[in-house]
Amino acid sequence: MKRRSVVQALVGLGLVLGLPLAAHAQDALERVTSAGVLKVGTETAFAPFDFIDATGEHAGLNVDLFGEIGKEMGVDIAWVELPWDGVLPALEAGQFDMVGGPATITKARAERYRFMPPIAEATVALLKRADDDSIQKPEDIAGKLVGGGKSSAQLAQLKAFGESLPGGVEVREYVGNNEAYADLAAGRIAAVGNSLPNIAYVASQQPDVFAVVQPPFGTKSYFGYIGTKKPEDQKLLDAVDAAILKIKADGRLAELQKKWFGTAFDTPDHVTDPAL
Amino acid sequence: MTPRLFELMLWAAGATVLISAVSILIGLAIGFLVCAARVSRTRWLSTPAAVFVSFFRGVPLLVQLLLIYNLLPGFGLYVPSVVAAIAGLSLCTAAYQAENLRGGFMSVPKGLLEAADMVGLSPWQQMRRIRAPIALRLTLPALINEAILILKASSLISVVGVVELTRMAQNLAASTYRPLLFYSVAGGLYLVINWLVAGGGSLAERMLKKERA
Amino acid sequence: MLDFGLIIKQMPAILAAFGVTFGIWIVSMLLAAALGFLVAVARRFGPKPLDWLLRAYVEVFRGTPFLVQLFLLYFGGPYVGLSLEPIPVALLAMTVYGGAYFSEIFRAGFEAVPRGHVEAAECVGLTRAQILRRILVPEMTMLVLPLCVNMAIVLLKETAVLSIITVPELTLVIGVIGSQQYAFVESMFLLALFYWLLVELCGVLGRWSEAKLSRFRFAPS
Repeated sequence: MKRRSVVQALVGLGLVLGLPLAAHAQDALERVTSAGVLKVGTETAFAPFDFIDATGEHAGLNVDLFGEIGKEMGVDIAWVELPWDGVLPALEAGQFDMVGGPATITKARAERYRFMPPIAEATVALLKRADDDSIQKPEDIAGKLVGGGKSSAQLAQLKAFGESLPGGVEVREYVGNNEAYADLAAGRIAAVGNSLPNIAYVASQQPDVFAVVQPPFGTKSYFGYIGTKKPEDQKLLDAVDAAILKIKADGRLAELQKKWFGTAFDTPDHVTDPAL
Repeated sequence: MTPRLFELMLWAAGATVLISAVSILIGLAIGFLVCAARVSRTRWLSTPAAVFVSFFRGVPLLVQLLLIYNLLPGFGLYVPSVVAAIAGLSLCTAAYQAENLRGGFMSVPKGLLEAADMVGLSPWQQMRRIRAPIALRLTLPALINEAILILKASSLISVVGVVELTRMAQNLAASTYRPLLFYSVAGGLYLVINWLVAGGGSLAERMLKKERA
Repeated sequence: MLDFGLIIKQMPAILAAFGVTFGIWIVSMLLAAALGFLVAVARRFGPKPLDWLLRAYVEVFRGTPFLVQLFLLYFGGPYVGLSLEPIPVALLAMTVYGGAYFSEIFRAGFEAVPRGHVEAAECVGLTRAQILRRILVPEMTMLVLPLCVNMAIVLLKETAVLSIITVPELTLVIGVIGSQQYAFVESMFLLALFYWLLVELCGVLGRWSEAKLSRFRFAPS
């Protein structure tokens, strides 16, 4: 991957000198299939969906699942890695064909973007320090300082949940979830709000440090990949949509879910009316 | 730290060096143009140049990078991550280098130019043979300084999707739960790179002096 | 294409964030200048080993990105028992980083004061403290003022990086509002404008105080 960034730099230099050509409203599916490359934006700080593992490799459900999607569509996957709060702006700017975040399917986002079929549950729960006995149920964070990922749907739910508690909660916004986990371990905050699959994975990796607060406090919700509603993108997204449904139907998705979450989820094929 | 992870850090350091070096050179070229426009007697050249310098020196690089990456595509200019990073760093350093060069050009002794006029050198010849070499020599220390600043500033380009040394350290710190180790190694690599640049700079200065003598 | 209305509605939050940015900037700048001055004085008048130590400090903090220093202090600190809150970390990191640069500015300033002035002061029997207070500091102030203004601008722009350790300053707050309203580009424009105005203001103040202080200017020897 790093070798690539050096090569990218050289190619980039060529583009700067040659003046980048204006990208026109060419059909995205035609462009992707003729180039043989699907460009996917993501954040590599979202284990177990998307992360850099301890050997330095880009890994996670996203990588495996897009590997399958690429096979179905006959294209290679090129990842563009950004901090999460930069991913949606860059999608709108046309920096990549779609977002492999994944993102929680919410009403506000569904209005602005097109979601692919859900790939996992996204219901929000709390992660706490394993040795912190003061938090036994979600409501115990009342009056405490908690954290979440900046511009994430999980953070919005955490804030709303906090406001419903007596004394409220103070919320700190992190550019990346990993920094929030680190701050929790360091004792600067009392809990991190993130979706259950994420924090269950973090807790399983470091059972001495972290524990999940059961049950999840959030509204039941799902994760999906995101594309735009631009007309020229729709055929491409139809193709991705179909590929994901095929992967789901033949059991590959459930297998991947087991591999990364330890359990398979029962997800609908499409979320038409998000609860959030 | 396993050898594999250290190798990854070195690759990322390579990306940092390469992107910074390209940006410095492009920035120098743009800086020349902006400096020329800045000292021009034509208002419609000098005013935009002054605004350029003021803007790129007055806005944090972080914000410049995001504007380039997310705004330009709206005008039909597709800028991939690496291009956005190089463009941001180049424009930023160009503003500073233009000012450094301006100082350099102003210090070219008047007498030399008068002498050049006398022997009938054209303005272009004067620029190529006298003014540019002297200004470059005078601004070499400032150029080396700029190179070090840009090497450090490149730690921000991950916001437009380029994995360089700092981002790599951040990723590996998270996946190995060893922030102290990876940020220290990143800091050490930056130090080594900057020492090499500074050392190379003073070597070049000494060689230029010798050549003159 | 651009719609600033949604952002303008959030003005109170933006102004509060502006206050955080401004406060951290001013406080850390003053602390950094003080630290830099002490380091410069210690390097000029202190024993050799202290000079080497301080030189190492200056080299390390000028040779590494502020972002890396910030990460190291904030995320590495707790591993060595230094678990500070975001704003104290911000102030500390900016002070130590700025102090390294300021010390070099003051050191160059001291060196630029003509030797003759110092020798003359020594001849008439002034103590080191008196030489510092009466000769070195007033004479170098004029010389280093433009450099100090530059450094203030550098520090102001570095505050944008503090968003990464959750300090609720301008870049963080405007960025969050931008993503909430999906007004990404507008928020970046507004952000650019805020910093640009502050930097220009800083430049104007710098030139004004240069003019005010010009009575300290000495004839070049």
